[in-house]
Amino acid sequence: MSENGLPQAIDVTGSTPEEAIEKGLSQLGLTRNDVIVEIIEEGRGGLAGIGAREAVVRLIPLRAPHPAPAESEEDTAEEAEVAHEVLADLLERMRVEATIYVYRAEPASPEEIAPWVLDIQGPDLGILIGRRGETLSALQYLTRLITSRRLERRANIVVDVEGYKSRREVSLRRLAQQMAAEARRRGRTVTLEPMPPNERRIIHIALRDDETVTTESVGEGEHRRVTIIPLRRSEH
Amino acid sequence: MTREETPMKELVEYIAKALVDDPSQVEVTQIEGATSVILELRVAPEDMGRVIGRGGRVANAMRTLLRVVAAKQGKRVTLEIV
Repeated sequence: MSENGLPQAIDVTGSTPEEAIEKGLSQLGLTRNDVIVEIIEEGRGGLAGIGAREAVVRLIPLRAPHPAPAESEEDTAEEAEVAHEVLADLLERMRVEATIYVYRAEPASPEEIAPWVLDIQGPDLGILIGRRGETLSALQYLTRLITSRRLERRANIVVDVEGYKSRREVSLRRLAQQMAAEARRRGRTVTLEPMPPNERRIIHIALRDDETVTTESVGEGEHRRVTIIPLRRSEH
Repeated sequence: MTREETPMKELVEYIAKALVDDPSQVEVTQIEGATSVILELRVAPEDMGRVIGRGGRVANAMRTLLRVVAAKQGKRVTLEIV
């Protein structure tokens, strides 16, 4: 670490500048937006390796590496505890009377670590969901951010209101299957309503293993929507 | 004397203090109008980025939560980071 708490700049080589950048980023544990890239040597392929010169890039970190997610069961229990406290503090200041129930989610896929879900329950909590779940997203974002900051590592938690997200997930999965069937039957691309990122992700995952269709998000910002594209029979 | 009821100010203070490096310099001023509330958040210059967030994400999340509280009082709310 240098004086300002940031990792030192590093020089990396690769057959192309892009490859060198990728290599350097994974060494630093950073993403493209976290560094300044200086291309020191463009490099060139040469003919069949003759006269080839490696590309050299210098990566100057703008931030410390992303904290690694928690790994042990004990760590995640601590996450749930701190997140519970943070969420209760936020709700108290919003003058919302509610009870927070904590449970372990089911992992979206076997390779994923299941997050803790903090489900807020109480009378009249529609205001905590907001239009297209906007308020709930803000609440989850800030709870995660403050919890991560306290624990100095990324907190893998989900905030829900009266099971809104889990119910929504069930209906989105059903919708995905129906629309995939529709796309197959008509042999045409089906476009869904605009959805926030977390909901689009549910659709993509639901159809990930379906070999008869492929999914793609199109449009920008609030208008971004999932399209379900049938694959021709020869591609099955 | 009863404690003044200022949930929005408390909410911003809590979030800002939890995110900055120097909580002692977090200051929130509440300016109350008949139909609107203005909250001014001041933090140490080095901490501005933490309360604004990449692309204003933190500031916008705070605004979203503030709207819920303001709506209950029938008011509009503005959060300014100064």
